[in-house]
Amino acid sequence: MTHIQTSPGVSPPAGDRSVNKRNGPTGQAPPAGTTRPGRRENLAGYLFMSPWIAGFLFLIAGPMVFSLYLSFTEYNLFDAPRWIGLRNFTDMFADPRWRQSVKVTSWYVLIGTPVKLAAALAVAMLLAQKRWGQSFYRAAFYAPSLIGASVSAAIVWRALFSDGAVVDRTQKLFGVETGGWIGDPEMIIYALIALTVWQFGAPMVIFLAGLKQVPRELYEAAEVDGAGPWRRFFHITLPMISPVLFFNVLLETIHSFQIFGSAYILSNATCGPADATLVYTCYLYEQGFVNSRMGFASAMGWLLLVAVGLVTAVLFWSQKRWVHYEEGGR
Amino acid sequence: MSRNSGIDRRQMLKLAGLSAAGLGLTAAGCGSGGGSGSGGTVTIRHSWWGADDRAKKIQQCITLFEKKHPKIKVKTDFQQYGDFWKKFNTQAAGGNPPDVIQNAVTFLRKYEAKNVLLDLGPQAEKGNLDLTGFRAGLEKFAEVDGKLLGVPVGSNSMALVIDEKVYEKAGVAPEIGWTWDDWYAGLQKIRSSQNIPGDAGPHGVMYLYDLILRQNGKAFFTEDGMGFGEAELLPYWTEALERVKKGLYADQKKVEQIKPAFATTHGLSAGEFTWDNFSVRYSAEGRSSYGLAPIPSTDGKRTGQYLGSLMLSGSARTKHPAEVATFISFMTHDLEVARIMGYDRGVPATTAQFEAYQPADAPNKAIAAYETAIADAGLLEPITPHPAGADVVEAAFLRIGADLSLGKASPEDSVKQFLSEAKTALASN
Repeated sequence: MTHIQTSPGVSPPAGDRSVNKRNGPTGQAPPAGTTRPGRRENLAGYLFMSPWIAGFLFLIAGPMVFSLYLSFTEYNLFDAPRWIGLRNFTDMFADPRWRQSVKVTSWYVLIGTPVKLAAALAVAMLLAQKRWGQSFYRAAFYAPSLIGASVSAAIVWRALFSDGAVVDRTQKLFGVETGGWIGDPEMIIYALIALTVWQFGAPMVIFLAGLKQVPRELYEAAEVDGAGPWRRFFHITLPMISPVLFFNVLLETIHSFQIFGSAYILSNATCGPADATLVYTCYLYEQGFVNSRMGFASAMGWLLLVAVGLVTAVLFWSQKRWVHYEEGGR
Repeated sequence: MSRNSGIDRRQMLKLAGLSAAGLGLTAAGCGSGGGSGSGGTVTIRHSWWGADDRAKKIQQCITLFEKKHPKIKVKTDFQQYGDFWKKFNTQAAGGNPPDVIQNAVTFLRKYEAKNVLLDLGPQAEKGNLDLTGFRAGLEKFAEVDGKLLGVPVGSNSMALVIDEKVYEKAGVAPEIGWTWDDWYAGLQKIRSSQNIPGDAGPHGVMYLYDLILRQNGKAFFTEDGMGFGEAELLPYWTEALERVKKGLYADQKKVEQIKPAFATTHGLSAGEFTWDNFSVRYSAEGRSSYGLAPIPSTDGKRTGQYLGSLMLSGSARTKHPAEVATFISFMTHDLEVARIMGYDRGVPATTAQFEAYQPADAPNKAIAAYETAIADAGLLEPITPHPAGADVVEAAFLRIGADLSLGKASPEDSVKQFLSEAKTALASN
């Protein structure tokens, strides 16, 4: 174990003890914290952590508890919250715009996430092969994820898909006239999905790491047995990278549920036209900050948390059927 | 180095001290701003909505103000209209609103009910705020329940901004006293001769619908609710949808895409109803020449028009009400301010400022002529009240009007949806 010496005269924490503690029951010394110097060490630890703990309590835990309380109240930011029980939740189900936001978000998650992951995997497989200029391509494909979430990218996207812009003109070359996707309630959601798919860099890098772990011998053996590229993909690659795939599915699904920025900017802060990009968080934001219905917005937030929790649970449950871990690797 | 003690007591104390200092610094960082600086200088914050152009002008005015009042510093902040109110709501709820804000009539009752705005009356009595010399009783414009919640900086009225070239070619000449039938005949003429829609689609513009209702003895709002119902709105929106389909109103898909730009400047329509001072932006944005046409009426006489106004309001939370009043007074009376701002926020509200600025460019000249013409024709009436929540109602009217014209909802459903949202907004604000 190595210690980082902070300044001369500051002795390092009692290293042996922390090693022993981590080693569990095989350690010789009593666990740290039960002896006087150990307690002191703990105290130092907490002291170092105090900015984080304070931040967590005041900036995360506190607001969360308060928002849970608000979800059962009517609160317009100015007057004191008024307890109304479950009415926010019942109002929600009766609200056609709320139902629309659930519909748009579900559509976005169901279409956007698989397409994004498929794109990420396809490009990762191409980039996994040894080629000239490989590192340049990897960087180039990853770059959109770095800038993808930014406002500027969404603005550029808006310009690309507008009436008479690049996409519209290209379509016209093929005889398809839609007059731009941004003003079209049927089409704008696909512009939004395309923007998400374009940001496939992060899952791609993870796939790339997974692909590198697949033993070459498996492919060689399969080739000797006469397996074609598709067979090798479905019977070797996919099962071998399934833990990585699971990780990416989980992360991207959770991420997709929370989409806000790109929908907000792409629709010029209207979540429209005709509520076509009214994703869940967009409606939540509108209710909270435009209509000053903070209680309702909080209720929406908590329902989203529960929904994402449920989807995550289902994914974890399903992994038994399709995720293969190497023995002992679990 | 001792192996037994991780950190000795002295070091622990030092650490604790450092952490506390760190937290203290952060807290101090949050708490500064808006407070008194050194040497008796007071800093007030002013925020408004608008674009870069307005920002430059306001900054110029503030430089001038700071020169004349060296003990008052003004920090500024601006956003687009929608974002401005989101930020202001959050700041006000958090107890840290800017000292002076740009404001509009839609928000007066809302913030009055929530005690957000400063009553400027006492400041006027103390002599910090000059309420003399306002045009046509504008100094009372923001009086709600005996409290003075704002002072107008400019006044404007609804108008029909038209692409003059298209109107001319189509042979349509709007004039005071024209009726909705005349206007509608004009739309058809423009469509058939120039092959473009005559209007951007006025059915989502709350302020225009208010005028139409007023022409028929009703109004958009009453003191505490809606001044109309399904019986009025359903025929209006049914007709609107038909006109979109006939091409008399612009293709709403295209109108959506170019927002926040205007349909008329993009050649998507030959005109649209909006505030008269917006016409300056049309000339800057578009390639044609744009003029102001009068509002049509039902009977050829009453247009229902009134002066709307941008105003400056103080925050009830401000620690410097006297300085706030001094600043507002300066912005409404200083002659140099009038020359800098022009008609950016409407025609200046005080007679002295109105006279100090003589527009030299065509768009501003047109605004001056328009405002003079409607005043001379005796068209101006007092404004109808806007209840708390009017801002949310306005946004819903615009949004649902757009959904309707995009063919996403039937007129019946749209009207039902709007009335239900309006009810919620008025109840919860």
